[in-house]
Amino acid sequence: MTTTATTLEEAVWERLRDVADPEIPAVSVVDMGMVAGVQVAGATAKVTILPTFTGCPAIDVIVSDVRAAVEAVEGVDTVEVETTFSPPWTSERITQEGRTKLKEFGLAPPTGTGPVLIGSIGLPTFAICPFCDSKNTVNENPFGPTPCRALYHCNDCTNPFEQFKPV
Amino acid sequence: MSDSLVSLVTALGDDELVLGHRHSEWTGFAPHIEEDVAFSSIAQDEIGHAAALYSLVAKVTGDSADRIALGRDKSDYRNAILCERDNGDWAFTLARHWLYDHADELRLEALEGSAHEELAALATKIRREERYHLLHADTWLKRIAQGPVEGRKRLADGVMKAFGPSLALFEPFELEDEAVKEGWLPLPSGELRDRFVRFASEQLDALGLPTDIARHAEEGAEFVASSSGDLIAGDGAEMAQGGDEDGTGGRRGRRTADFDALWEDMTAMYRTNPGATW
Repeated sequence: MTTTATTLEEAVWERLRDVADPEIPAVSVVDMGMVAGVQVAGATAKVTILPTFTGCPAIDVIVSDVRAAVEAVEGVDTVEVETTFSPPWTSERITQEGRTKLKEFGLAPPTGTGPVLIGSIGLPTFAICPFCDSKNTVNENPFGPTPCRALYHCNDCTNPFEQFKPV
Repeated sequence: MSDSLVSLVTALGDDELVLGHRHSEWTGFAPHIEEDVAFSSIAQDEIGHAAALYSLVAKVTGDSADRIALGRDKSDYRNAILCERDNGDWAFTLARHWLYDHADELRLEALEGSAHEELAALATKIRREERYHLLHADTWLKRIAQGPVEGRKRLADGVMKAFGPSLALFEPFELEDEAVKEGWLPLPSGELRDRFVRFASEQLDALGLPTDIARHAEEGAEFVASSSGDLIAGDGAEMAQGGDEDGTGGRRGRRTADFDALWEDMTAMYRTNPGATW
């Protein structure tokens, strides 16, 4: 392929922007803030990936998709993909573009950094309805169909929706 | 040197895997659908944490995480016995969930200071996710403890049954002295247990829930268990059922009949087709 990128490292980043999160295909691994770094030495590219949730079953697929994408970059012969929990991935790493795409996908972007304590009882942080932008929403379950999703209901447009959990 | 690290991290992984498996047994059977989702998700988290811990061990020993999780003999597991106990009713599951996750919180907090950087980073990561488990456990414990009599009674029974064995989560790991000396485990299990007893007794007492007062009073002043008292009466049968032992020995490889059934189920696929991948 040809690329307008000026360096191999930029070319790798550009390809990574096309690698979709397998469970949320609307966003890329770059949008999700999962790429901790790209190092290029000669024709070897090393990509470091931060798993979103420790138990995310999509991580093997993500690693293999990242490898395939970077292998296709002209000038790259060897690809190393490693995963690490240091630094920990947090939902604050999701880019503004990623948040917009999540919302368009129908998934409320995370708010805050995790559940909050109110008195002695914890409550999930609030979510903004991705369909009508209302804040008049109620958490129905801090857990959902995947480790990274919580279930909400919008009192204004009456739609149920899911939020990408702040963590 | 690495033997003590392997021993420590394997035991931590075993707790998460085995309890995660128990939680997963509520999938399709929980008292209502939101709890079906919650326990399924918590189970997935715990098993994911086990996978990450086993991967760390595998890196050190050249093994595979799947083999460690599913390819070992029953006698090679080092989980605390509390984790393998049958789910019983939802109240026992809830009491165990609360005790386990608060014990785990204290353990993870300490492990964030581990001299093993990868273990420390993993503890930080896991702890962020565990906040949702604590939120869940605290919310339900409080709701049921302050609710109608039937629920209170069953929860009190569950706490009575689970509290004593929960202390065995802090039985020393094999080679623990060495792990502490190396800094893998920044605080000895005994100290973590004391912190846990103080925390749990205070919280349970505030909700009028019993701690296992009789048994631990006999062990001396080490445990200052407290209780509202009135809910303990009439629990003899329940205590006898799960309490033929005090729940210790898990870290040394003692397993109960409950574990046999769990292991058969959990490892069935792996044993049918060893090394299968998909």
